[in-house]
Amino acid sequence: MSHHPSYLGVFLTFVRNSLVRDMTFRANFLIDTFSSMSWMIMNLGFYVLVYQFTPNIAGWGKFEFFVFIATTMFVNSLVQAFFMPNAEELSEQVRTGGLDFALLKPIDTQFLVSLRRISWSSLGNFFVAMLLLFYSVPRIEGLELSFWQVLLYPVYILMGVLILYSVMIALAATSIWLGRNQSLYDFWFYITNFSRYPMEIYQGTWGTPLRQLFTFVIPILVVINVPARLIAKPLSWEHSWLAAFGVVATLGSLLGSRWVFKRALWSYRSASS
Amino acid sequence: MLARAETWWTILKICVEERLVYRGDFALGTLMRFLPIVTQIFLWTAVFASAGSGLIKGFTRNDIVAYYLLTMLARAFSSMPGLASGIARQVREGEIKKFLVQPIDLIGYLLLARIAHKVVYYSVAAGPFALVYYICRSYFPGWPPTEVMVAFLLSLVLAFLLGFFLEATMGMISFWFLEVSSLLFVYMLFTFFFSGHMFPLEILPEPWRTIVDFLPFKYMAYFPAAVFLGKVQGTELVHGLMIQTAWVLGFIVLCRMTMQAGFNRYSGYGG
Amino acid sequence: MNAIEIRQLQKSYRVYQKNEGLMASVRGLFHREYREVAAVKAIDLDVEQGEFVAFLGPNGAGKTTTLKLLSGVISPTGGEARVLGHVPWLRENDYRRRFALVMGQKNQLWWDLPAQESFTLHEKIYRIEHDKFVRTRDELCDLLNVGHLLGRPVRELSLGERMKMELTAALLHSPDVLFLDEPTIGLDVIAQHNIQKFLKFYQQERKITILLTSHYMKDVAALCKRVVIIAQGEIIYDGSLAGIIDKFSGHKILSLLFSDGRMPSDLARYGDVLEIVEPKARLRVDRGKISQVLSSVLANHTLEDISVEDPPLEEVIAELFSHSAEESERGKTAEEIRNGEMRTAGVSERSNK
Repeated sequence: MSHHPSYLGVFLTFVRNSLVRDMTFRANFLIDTFSSMSWMIMNLGFYVLVYQFTPNIAGWGKFEFFVFIATTMFVNSLVQAFFMPNAEELSEQVRTGGLDFALLKPIDTQFLVSLRRISWSSLGNFFVAMLLLFYSVPRIEGLELSFWQVLLYPVYILMGVLILYSVMIALAATSIWLGRNQSLYDFWFYITNFSRYPMEIYQGTWGTPLRQLFTFVIPILVVINVPARLIAKPLSWEHSWLAAFGVVATLGSLLGSRWVFKRALWSYRSASS
Repeated sequence: MLARAETWWTILKICVEERLVYRGDFALGTLMRFLPIVTQIFLWTAVFASAGSGLIKGFTRNDIVAYYLLTMLARAFSSMPGLASGIARQVREGEIKKFLVQPIDLIGYLLLARIAHKVVYYSVAAGPFALVYYICRSYFPGWPPTEVMVAFLLSLVLAFLLGFFLEATMGMISFWFLEVSSLLFVYMLFTFFFSGHMFPLEILPEPWRTIVDFLPFKYMAYFPAAVFLGKVQGTELVHGLMIQTAWVLGFIVLCRMTMQAGFNRYSGYGG
Repeated sequence: MNAIEIRQLQKSYRVYQKNEGLMASVRGLFHREYREVAAVKAIDLDVEQGEFVAFLGPNGAGKTTTLKLLSGVISPTGGEARVLGHVPWLRENDYRRRFALVMGQKNQLWWDLPAQESFTLHEKIYRIEHDKFVRTRDELCDLLNVGHLLGRPVRELSLGERMKMELTAALLHSPDVLFLDEPTIGLDVIAQHNIQKFLKFYQQERKITILLTSHYMKDVAALCKRVVIIAQGEIIYDGSLAGIIDKFSGHKILSLLFSDGRMPSDLARYGDVLEIVEPKARLRVDRGKISQVLSSVLANHTLEDISVEDPPLEEVIAELFSHSAEESERGKTAEEIRNGEMRTAGVSERSNK
């Protein structure tokens, strides 16, 4: 027996088991895929309507904005596939005692709780996003992609996913100590809602502090803005600090959520019988 | 009659109590409902700034913001979180049996539970709503005349009833298909897009603009807001209220019919 | 060597006190009252390597809490404990690899998947060498006779089969200490018997240390030589099963069979009359008075048969528990209260997306 648990092995087993499970409920799987895709398409429809009346929104032209939406879809589909079902299940696990079993295992509890179930159907949007990206990028006027852009785009998408994961798991963990947590998920939705728009729209007396709050305190504006800008509007000098800040924000979020999670487990262990 | 009223009163009281147990949830949830409005304000401000013209399909930016705030209010009346899925769960887990056994009317019970839910919600939400409306008062064109105000309130009550009976009918479908969550999702999608919750229906191009007029969804968000903003007036307003009432009546009947048929089917299969 | 050492272990927690009535609920919005509940009150216990010990006690007595403390799921309010030399609530991986917890009312297998997939997951989590894993799994499945069910989704298994799978999953990493919380709850007699047989065999073969809580006296009688009784968070008995009767029952049961219907009408003067079915009678007599009563009965009546027995174990224990029943009724476990709250929790909806 080796001393360190095999994290990759466990993760791959989760991946496999979830796939087996999803495939046993194939009809559900298809319906879920279809419904989450149609949701995003409707959302896209809204912007098609809006662009009837304006050539751009806060400096984002139609196709640039489509790239922004595609980025949103990449990030969200990854978060929904890997982390959302687990965060949602956490309170259920507290109730049914599943968390007790997780605490027994000789492996990091946060890892076990965060990745246990993977919702393959959510990856449907990933492909819609791919299509949208390939449709929109060539239609942006005067855009020539460099090697660095193509390389860094997925990296920053991954960082965005990690930031959102941190916010989500921190909220879910908080629910361990606050009890029922429906509004925490609402909170997650409402908070991340801010991340789905270009940061330039937050302007003025109210907008600037809001933009700063969601950039520096809860860095959710970084999540989509940085990778989307990277592709659609290559970073100018004044924006390149954003790319650097993205790395800091990711690390900070991960550490912060780790602390909250541990704190919540501690409270769980001392508050239950 | 009195005994019956007492029964209903007791049920209503229990439901209110149940909803009051979770305080933290409550206050938080209510306040957060306004967060999407904030992003909408910023988004539309940016759209109007770039569009150049101050008017889009008859809406100024302030109109649009007021419109969103008003649809929030309308949705607070017409949205029924957990209603259909709750019915589906009761059918799936066999809890529905108690309505076959006990002398309680299922729809009546659900309606009361929902009223309790809403009463508690409004009593807590009134504060945040008033606060947000006060902060945003400059977006509104001012108080409408009394008769419009009455029509607005009436349309809100009708929106509540329409939302309730429409979603209850959806829930009854679970007597036939146990897994209705995907159906509910499609329903939710339609409501969101075609009720006017996402945007003023005026910006839809033809033929969609005409199609939504023939669907019940717009009476759950768009219509009350449009009434308040004076977008529908005179005979058009009266017609609108009549059609809204017709939809409510239609769904009351449909809901009851599906329930009866569902009960028959359920007892036929022996649960 | 002691596998488990417990010194002055304590656990208490706070429960939200929900008051009845509408006004009280409204007040609950602003001000909440909490109540301190002591689940385990300063217990001491030593268990030797290779012992099979039963925990008995009424609901809410602190049995499950003790098991959870020993497995490190929860942290104590005070006191110390060592299992295999480890402090459980430090939750070192070295410790977590060496024990297992099985809870009869909870399952850790993936509901929608065949048990086999959950086993593979355990293989990865505990890093069991593949050959060893296959060997252990097949051995356990043979013993429990569930090999043919490995490929069937857990939700399709019967309760007994599921419990066997849970046991298999728990034993895959060959733990040295096993905590069993009501492993036979809800099972039919045959399934109970099978599980008992397996546990007995496995424990004797591997000489592992097992702590078992159960409601069924049959489990305990079949498996454990040593019994620990917990009531209201305190250990009130620690010894053999038979010793319980000596310690807690002050009575003997006297059965009399009278000759040709000459049953006296004043039997009550000998003791409590439990049952009269002429010509038989059963009496409950104070232990101290039994010889006196016997000679008196024999002197005054003609009997065909007479016997003196201990009261049945179940009765002694039921009586013992009922003393603490009122207490524990007030102190309903936090779990029950939490479950009550959860039941009313709304259905999570996607409508907010």
